[in-house]
Amino acid sequence: MRCTPAEHHLSRRQWFGAAGAAGLAGLATPAFAEQLKKDRRQVLFVWLDGGMSQLESWDPKPNTPFGGPFRSIQTAVPGVRISELMANSAKIMNRLAIVRSVCTQDDSHSAGVDRIQRGDPKNRGVVYPFFGSAVAKLVGAGDSGLPPYIWVKPMNGGFIFKDAGFLGPRYGALALGDGKPPENLLRPKSLTLEEDEERNELRKLADSRYMTNRRKEFTEANSYAFEMAAQLQKRVELFDTSKLPAKDLERYGTHDLGRHLLLARRLLEEGVTFVKVTSYGWDTHGDHFNGANNLHPKFDRPFAAIVEDLHERGMLDNALVIACAEFGRTPRINGHLGRDHWPQAWSVCMAGRGIKPGVVAGKTNDKGTEVASDPVDIGGLFHTWWRALGVDPEKVHYKNASQPLPIAHEDMKPVKEVLL
Amino acid sequence: MAPPKEIGKPIVPPCQVLRVRFSPDGNTLAAACTDGTVKRWDVTGKEPRELPAIEGHNGWVTDLVFAPVQLFTIDSWGSLKAWLLSDGSTVVKPRWAVESAHDGWIRAISYSPRATAVATCGKDGFVRIWGRLRGEKWEEIPVKSDVHSVCFAPDGGSVVAGDLFGIAREYKYPGGKLLRTFEAKELYKLDRIQDVGGVRCLLFDPEGKTLLVAGAVPSTGGFVQCTPLIVAFDRASGKRLWQWKGANDNEGYITDLAWHPDGFVVASASGQPGQGKVFFLKPGESAPLFTCPKPNVHSVAISPDGKLLAASLTNANSSGNGRVKGAGGEYPANTSPIQLWEMK
Repeated sequence: MRCTPAEHHLSRRQWFGAAGAAGLAGLATPAFAEQLKKDRRQVLFVWLDGGMSQLESWDPKPNTPFGGPFRSIQTAVPGVRISELMANSAKIMNRLAIVRSVCTQDDSHSAGVDRIQRGDPKNRGVVYPFFGSAVAKLVGAGDSGLPPYIWVKPMNGGFIFKDAGFLGPRYGALALGDGKPPENLLRPKSLTLEEDEERNELRKLADSRYMTNRRKEFTEANSYAFEMAAQLQKRVELFDTSKLPAKDLERYGTHDLGRHLLLARRLLEEGVTFVKVTSYGWDTHGDHFNGANNLHPKFDRPFAAIVEDLHERGMLDNALVIACAEFGRTPRINGHLGRDHWPQAWSVCMAGRGIKPGVVAGKTNDKGTEVASDPVDIGGLFHTWWRALGVDPEKVHYKNASQPLPIAHEDMKPVKEVLL
Repeated sequence: MAPPKEIGKPIVPPCQVLRVRFSPDGNTLAAACTDGTVKRWDVTGKEPRELPAIEGHNGWVTDLVFAPVQLFTIDSWGSLKAWLLSDGSTVVKPRWAVESAHDGWIRAISYSPRATAVATCGKDGFVRIWGRLRGEKWEEIPVKSDVHSVCFAPDGGSVVAGDLFGIAREYKYPGGKLLRTFEAKELYKLDRIQDVGGVRCLLFDPEGKTLLVAGAVPSTGGFVQCTPLIVAFDRASGKRLWQWKGANDNEGYITDLAWHPDGFVVASASGQPGQGKVFFLKPGESAPLFTCPKPNVHSVAISPDGKLLAASLTNANSSGNGRVKGAGGEYPANTSPIQLWEMK
């Protein structure tokens, strides 16, 4: 790999400059902290599991055979219209970019989720990392002292090492089930700090012996999980959702997605490199239009709120925001008044670092059934996202043992229209 | 009562049909269509004869209701229109129209000859009552909920609104004072972040003593698996009288209700992909008198004399076929065949 996380930390000149200006105390100066923040590269990845309909969100086709019942509305960008169910996003369209020509390969959830999040590279006999793990590896943990890849999701949490693929388990996701820290994170009160440290030393010794004749990735990941737990123990206040500001909860919504996006904002503020927020239940095969009427505003409101909040905090310069799913939904409306899976022509929305705001790239035909411009597969989106993060897929490669591997499908290109 | 007998092949409009209704004289069948039109057929002959469609709506025509010589139609973009229909001739202009009767999707409409008014309800959370002749707004009732269904009481002195959360509220008309609520909260479920279900249909018995509140008991969002449920309330006391529940959660939600002059209820159910049924129910009895399995039934209507039944269905293999293209690469919409039955 030609690019390491260390290269994206402060340069020696910057480091000594900041430290020298104020002696060692300079490490804690506002200027130094500000510099650290400026150099962050972060990602907010909102995953709408099951597939959000492009026709009721980013690419409406009102008054057409497959347009459904809803209207389109004018956005903050003249000439760009999106669904009336996305009223808040419409108001901040000048901060968003939409790719309406996404055309991917898989129409099943089971395969589609992995293919999209791994960038659907050419098959080289290895399991590629999810984008979160890849960013954790190539961008690094930054200065937060927190895990680089945190996944906020409903239901259970834990350490999800499978996301890391060939990068090895330590680049997996720390999943916060319902936004809560992992169970049994805190040291039991019956255990003193000294006792805990002694136990950890013993564990390290055991790990070291265990590792002698085994693959080191797993032992490393195990050790990493303990280190991560130690880090998190110092930051438990981050996960106390009871302390989320009531005013913000009202803005984001008290449902899972609203609360989880608000927690994501807090994690990004604390410097976490990659925060994925997953919402389940978007697979609306039946009664789709009542479902969309209910679901889409629950995405739209907190999504617009977090984009606006990141902008107000000056964080959109550093944080790439992506709203995505495994596919869109069929133009054809089935007999159950639902929409089925449709990878042929759907939309992805993004904002923030490296992204040109207020832009729509690509288009579908009048009925929304096919892409009517150059189709963009997920590999092209990976190229786009990497470039937005300042990582050039032409120059940066993974190194799996001695095997160099591209970080995005080498036959595909970025969507230049949405890049700054 | 003998089992209903299918009459000929279904009528096949080129789109889906959300509501079917017979005209007061029984001669015309009208269909509210997802292509923004109202299609009509003369059903007096051996074969239904198509009449000129009514155009002028946007989005979906979501519901319609007949009054003597008038037809009222609503759409998903918020407009309400009244059409003068003395015969089956071409209708170009509405008698009157309210383009922004609601902010967006109007879900249902009800007509009261006693009140000489129509009531509409929308996802904007309002019930509004409009004069029959000129379309002036006579009443606005803030329900403050996502309203799915509306129904005038037969005496015209009140209107009932059913919401997403399984609550039906009866409001005095005129005045809009809340009179009573009918709770069928099992018609609602929060699944993950999706509010699922709701009171999809309301129907009074002809005397106005019993109110039927219908929808389904949801098992899941997404696919919306749900078991159809009709709850009958005593209007005066608000107490439950009886209920009818379907066999399983593949049968879907109740999409429409009709009261037959002989005292039984006809209900349609949405069904899971490819499924769906028309049920003939005797009030208070758990087993249907008859059941007609038909794919994904959107609506049912009974002619005023009780001799004809119409149901809008969905074409076979219409579910899960989103990616399927025709031999020539065409990508047609699904349709709603309309089946007619003779009832004796």
